[in-house]
Amino acid sequence: MTNRIKFTRRSFGRAVAGASLLSAPMPLRYALGQAPAAVKVALLLPTSGGQAQIGQACKRGADVANLVFADMKLPVKLEIMNYDTETKPDVARTQAEKAIEAGANMLVGAFDSGQSIAIAQVAEQRGVPFIVNIAAAPQLTEQGYKFIVRNFPTAPMLIGGAFELHKEIFKAAGQTPKTAVLLSINDTFGTSMIGGIKAMFPKFKMPYEIVETISYDAATKDLSVEIAKAKATKADMLMPVCRLNDAKLMIQEMVKQRWEPMIVMNPGSPGLYEQDFLKTMGKYGDYHISNVPWLDPKSAMTKSLEKHHLAKFPNDQLDLNGGFTFEAMLIAAQACLSAKSTKSDALMSALRGLKVDQHVMIGGPIQFDAKGQNVNIAASAIQNLKRKPTVVMPKASAEADLVFPMPGWADKRRT
Amino acid sequence: MNVRAVAGLSILLALLLAAPLLLGGYWLSVLILVLYFAYVGQAWNIMMGFAGQLSLGHALYAGLGGYVAAGLYTHYGIGPWMGVFAAVGAAVAAGAIVGYLGFRFSLAGVYFALLTIAFGEFTRIGFDNWDWAGGSGGMFLKVERGVSDLANLRGGTVMFYYVILAMAAGAFLLCRYLLESRLGRYWLAIREDAEAAQAVGVPVLWCKMLAVTLSAALTALAGVWNAFYYNNLFPETAFAVGRSIEMTLSPIIGGLGTLFGPFVGAVVLTGLGELFTDLSDQFHVSGLKQIFYGLALLIIVMYRPAGIWPWIATRLGFEEKRK
Repeated sequence: MTNRIKFTRRSFGRAVAGASLLSAPMPLRYALGQAPAAVKVALLLPTSGGQAQIGQACKRGADVANLVFADMKLPVKLEIMNYDTETKPDVARTQAEKAIEAGANMLVGAFDSGQSIAIAQVAEQRGVPFIVNIAAAPQLTEQGYKFIVRNFPTAPMLIGGAFELHKEIFKAAGQTPKTAVLLSINDTFGTSMIGGIKAMFPKFKMPYEIVETISYDAATKDLSVEIAKAKATKADMLMPVCRLNDAKLMIQEMVKQRWEPMIVMNPGSPGLYEQDFLKTMGKYGDYHISNVPWLDPKSAMTKSLEKHHLAKFPNDQLDLNGGFTFEAMLIAAQACLSAKSTKSDALMSALRGLKVDQHVMIGGPIQFDAKGQNVNIAASAIQNLKRKPTVVMPKASAEADLVFPMPGWADKRRT
Repeated sequence: MNVRAVAGLSILLALLLAAPLLLGGYWLSVLILVLYFAYVGQAWNIMMGFAGQLSLGHALYAGLGGYVAAGLYTHYGIGPWMGVFAAVGAAVAAGAIVGYLGFRFSLAGVYFALLTIAFGEFTRIGFDNWDWAGGSGGMFLKVERGVSDLANLRGGTVMFYYVILAMAAGAFLLCRYLLESRLGRYWLAIREDAEAAQAVGVPVLWCKMLAVTLSAALTALAGVWNAFYYNNLFPETAFAVGRSIEMTLSPIIGGLGTLFGPFVGAVVLTGLGELFTDLSDQFHVSGLKQIFYGLALLIIVMYRPAGIWPWIATRLGFEEKRK
C-alpha cells in the first residue's frame, strides 16, 4: 500500500491561489473582505463605429477604476463587463439586455443620448440601475425614469455654466471683450449648441455682443473663407463650437491670416483641449480656453487616477471622458458599499441617497436630485498651457494663472 | 407553394408565436431586430427586387414616418394608430415626389439612387433645424414603466415583438399577393426590360410610381414602430445613409426579388452580427465585429451572388426561385 500524496495541476493551482490571497497587500485583502458578493457592472460604450475614439477614451477611465479604489482604500472591487454599442441605439438596447442576462447588477454608459435612452428603457423594464456617464439631453432625467441617475451636466447646464464662467474670467483678467463671433460646425452637436447659446444668451446679460454666427460643413477641408469673414467682424473674441479636425483647420487659418483676437474660448465643445490638437498645433495650440467640466487637479483621487492612467495608457491623455466614466464606476462602487447588497432595489435606493464627497471631477459632492440628476457639477475653464490642458478656473481648483488676453501668434511666450 | 413549404412555414410561425415563452429578454430583442430588418427589407424589395429601382435613401421614409407619428403623439396626444395615417401619407408624398422626379425624367440606376440619397440628406438637414421635431437635439417620447397600452404603443418588449411579427407576416402576405397579381407581373417585366415592357403596353411610369409609394408606405410603418420602440429620434440617425444601406442588406444577402430572401438575410446578418459582437466582447478587441462581418458579407456575395435563400430553397425542395 502506498501512501503518496497526489499533487495534480489542479491542486497546484489551488495552492497558488490560496498563497496569493494570503500574501495580498493588506488594503486589497481588506477590500476583498468587505465587498458584497461580486458586483457586476456592465459598461456599455461605443468602442467601435463613429464614436469609437471617445468610447475608448471613456473605457480607459473605467479600466483603472479598481486600481484607484484600492489606492483610496475603498473596500470594493467591481467586476466590469464591457459591451460595445457600436454607436447604434439598437445595438445599445440588445447589449443592455445581454448584460442583464449575464447578471449585471448595474449598467453604466453610454456617452451618447440616443444610446443612453435605448439602454434606459431596458433598465426601467428590467428594474436594473443605470448610471449615465456622459449624455447631455435633458430628457434623460425628465422622463420620470425610476432606475436612472446621471452624473453629467445637461446641455443647458453646460452652456449656462460656460456663460457664468466667462464673467468670472473677464473679472479675473480685468479686461472684457465687447464683441464675439460664433464659429460653428453644422453637425447635430454644433446646431444644438448654437440653438442653446442663442436661446440662453439674453438671459445671462453677457457683457459682450455676438456680432456674427458663422457655420461650416462638418466635412470641410478649408476654413479660409469663414476665418476671413470672422476676422472682418473685428470681434474681440472667437467662440468656436468645433470638433477635432476643424479646430486644427481653424487655428491654422487664423495664424495664416494673422487674426489675433483677445481670446479663443469655446463655450463647451471638444477640439481645443484634445491631445491630437495639442500635438499637431504645437505652440499655436497654447492659450486657448475651453469651458468644459474637467478633472479637479487638487483632488487626491484625481492624482491617483492620473497615476494609474499614465501607467496603463502612457500614450493617451486623461480627459473628461475618462474622468466621468471613472466617476460612474465610483458611483456604482459607493452605491454597492452603501446598499451592502447586489439587489436592484437596494442599489437604486442607495444611489438616490448617495453623497460622494471625494471624487475626481470639479464640483460639489456627487448627489442626485429627485429626477436622478447630479446638480453639483461645476463648469471649469481649461487653458492650454505648455501643451497641456490646465485648469485656470474656478480659483479653488486652478493649477495655473489665467493668461488673458492670449499672446499673439509671434509672441515670444509661445515656444 | 408546395406541401413541404406550407408545413415548414407553419412550424416557423408557431415557433415565432411561442418565442416570448421560450426566449429570454436578450434573444427576444435579437429576434425583434431580425423581424424589423426582414420587414424593412421586404418593403425595399418591392422597389428593387420586384420593380428594379435602386433606392439608397429609404431611411427618408422610415424617418418621416417615425417623426410624424411621434410628433403627433408628443405634441397633440394623437395615438400611433391614428398618427400612422399621417405618417404613411407623408412618406407616400415624399416617395411620389422622388419617384416622379426620377421616373418622369428617366433617371435610372445609380442616378436614381443618388436622387434618393439627396432627398434623405436634405430632409435630415431640414429636421436638424426644425424646432417642432426637436431639431438636432432629437425628439423624445414619454416612457412609462409597467404599462402595457397597445392603443398608444406604450409597453414592454413582448408587445413590440408581436407588433413587429404581425407587420413582418403582413408584409410577407402582401408581397406574395402582389407578386402573383397583374401589377407584380408588370413590375417584373419593367425590372427585366423597361423599354420592352413599355412597348407591349405596360404603364411603366404608373407601375414604378406604385412601387415607390407602396414601398415608402410600408417603410413608414417600420419608422413608426421604430420611433415608439426606441422612444427617441435624431435626424442624424433617423435619416442616415448608413440606415438606408442597412435596409438593403437583408434582401441582397437573402435573395433579391424573393419572398423569403429578406427574412433569411435578416436571420443571417443579425445572427452573424451577434456572433461577431460576442467574439469582439470576449477578445476585448473593438471593431473585430466589423472586420469579420465585412468578410462574411464578401464571401456570401462572392459564392452566392443570387442570395442565400434560392440556394437553400433548392436544397430543401421548397423551390422558391427569384421571380
